[in-house]
Amino acid sequence: MKELLVKLGQVDRRYIFLFIAAAVVLPLLFPLNFPTRATPHTRAVFDIIDQIPPDNNPILISFDYGPSIMPECHPMAYAILRHAFARRVKVVGLTLANDAAGLAEEAFRNVAREYGREYGKDYVFLGYKAGGSAVILSIGEDLKKTFPRDFYGKPTAEIPMLAEVHNYNQIPLIIPLTGSATATFWIIYAGTRYRARVADGVTAVMAAELYPYLQTKQLSGMLAGLKGAAEYEHLVEEAGYSRGARRASRGMDALSTMHLVIIGFIILGNIGFFLSRRDAKKGESR
Amino acid sequence: MTIPDTLWTWIAALLTLAILSFLYKDNPFYKFAEHLFVGISAGYWVILEYNNSVFPNLIVPIFKEHNYWFIIPGLLGLLFFARFIPKLGFLIFIPIAFYIGGYAGLAIGPSLQARLLKQLQGSMLAPPDFADPGLLVNKLLVLTGILGTMLYFYFSKEHKGVLKAVSNIGIWFIMVGFGAAFGYTVMARASLLIGRIQFLLMDWLHLIR
Repeated sequence: MKELLVKLGQVDRRYIFLFIAAAVVLPLLFPLNFPTRATPHTRAVFDIIDQIPPDNNPILISFDYGPSIMPECHPMAYAILRHAFARRVKVVGLTLANDAAGLAEEAFRNVAREYGREYGKDYVFLGYKAGGSAVILSIGEDLKKTFPRDFYGKPTAEIPMLAEVHNYNQIPLIIPLTGSATATFWIIYAGTRYRARVADGVTAVMAAELYPYLQTKQLSGMLAGLKGAAEYEHLVEEAGYSRGARRASRGMDALSTMHLVIIGFIILGNIGFFLSRRDAKKGESR
Repeated sequence: MTIPDTLWTWIAALLTLAILSFLYKDNPFYKFAEHLFVGISAGYWVILEYNNSVFPNLIVPIFKEHNYWFIIPGLLGLLFFARFIPKLGFLIFIPIAFYIGGYAGLAIGPSLQARLLKQLQGSMLAPPDFADPGLLVNKLLVLTGILGTMLYFYFSKEHKGVLKAVSNIGIWFIMVGFGAAFGYTVMARASLLIGRIQFLLMDWLHLIR
């Protein structure tokens, strides 16, 4: 047994890849349906949108992610849009990431079709604007001056939904979906400078960095990685707002199984390491 | 699904498999996919930058709206290319000075407020914290963590006695922080793999719906 554990600590990494592949593929083919429970940070985002009066001021979603982190952020976009459109909450979309416009436009088009929502009346997509933090600050002064035209080239001054939207004062919630420092840009420039309410949807890598902002309430809520997206999908479905595809939730079985396999390998690897180190020390003392 | 859609899905799936084949060992399929990705990415970003940044923010204002003030930032931007001419290389400092000066001006105030003052405020104990035992424990943990971590990085005095004890507590908090960050990183990378496998099983092979 001891020799086996020591050998396991030196196993060819390709065997580990095989186990990982099985841990991902099998739960996707044969779902285990592990229960999903929403964390308080995810529920906070849901509750804020749930309390916004229908056909009133719009929320702002900044689609600041490209295809490289699409598996984590795209399901968040779908779940939030479904929630908003089901409740007739208006949405303004924009992006500060150069390669994100296509993904954002696709999400808007598909979810708007599901709920029969109309462009210009229920939602607007402003497209990409270069400048990052300067754009965030500029929206605080004047949204329509920052984006004179929408993604399709139509003057924003002529869009009915934006007639009464001038800056962050008319936006009850900002949700940046991102895997970059843009998440903190929105907190610093929109949240602190203009006192706008910000809730981030971020990749898991970013999440640990943002917890201090939750503790100080500079962030009103947070969706953290694929798990956050799955939790939001669960809340939206539980409230009866959507029966649409739950891509993140489907991935959660695979994620949990993969975590168990990784934890198992870490434990076995450490046992093997300590046993071989003990043997080496014994050898030295002789 | 139309024929072009199917074709693109097949190309994406085969390239995904080519990249994943590196997990076994380096091979020509991986090399092909890697070089293709690097080349296409570079070309794609050049076009994106031109269409989304240069064209709407420089070409349109100058040539369509005849707003000639935009020539000044345009020239400043061109000075970045002075780097390629050794004798004129020093000119690059002009746009960099504008960039750093402007950005620092924009960032210092709000960053100080959001990243330092608000965080300091959040770590302090306030009267309402004493009403809720759970919140009080949470706040005390945060306070202990901050003090311990800050003292761990205090190098002006040798770490002995009380200072050593407190900085040792700091190490524990730092390790827990690293552990949490690493755990989240594993989750992020796993999510990306799951996204790719979902694409293969769902969009390519149609084995799951």
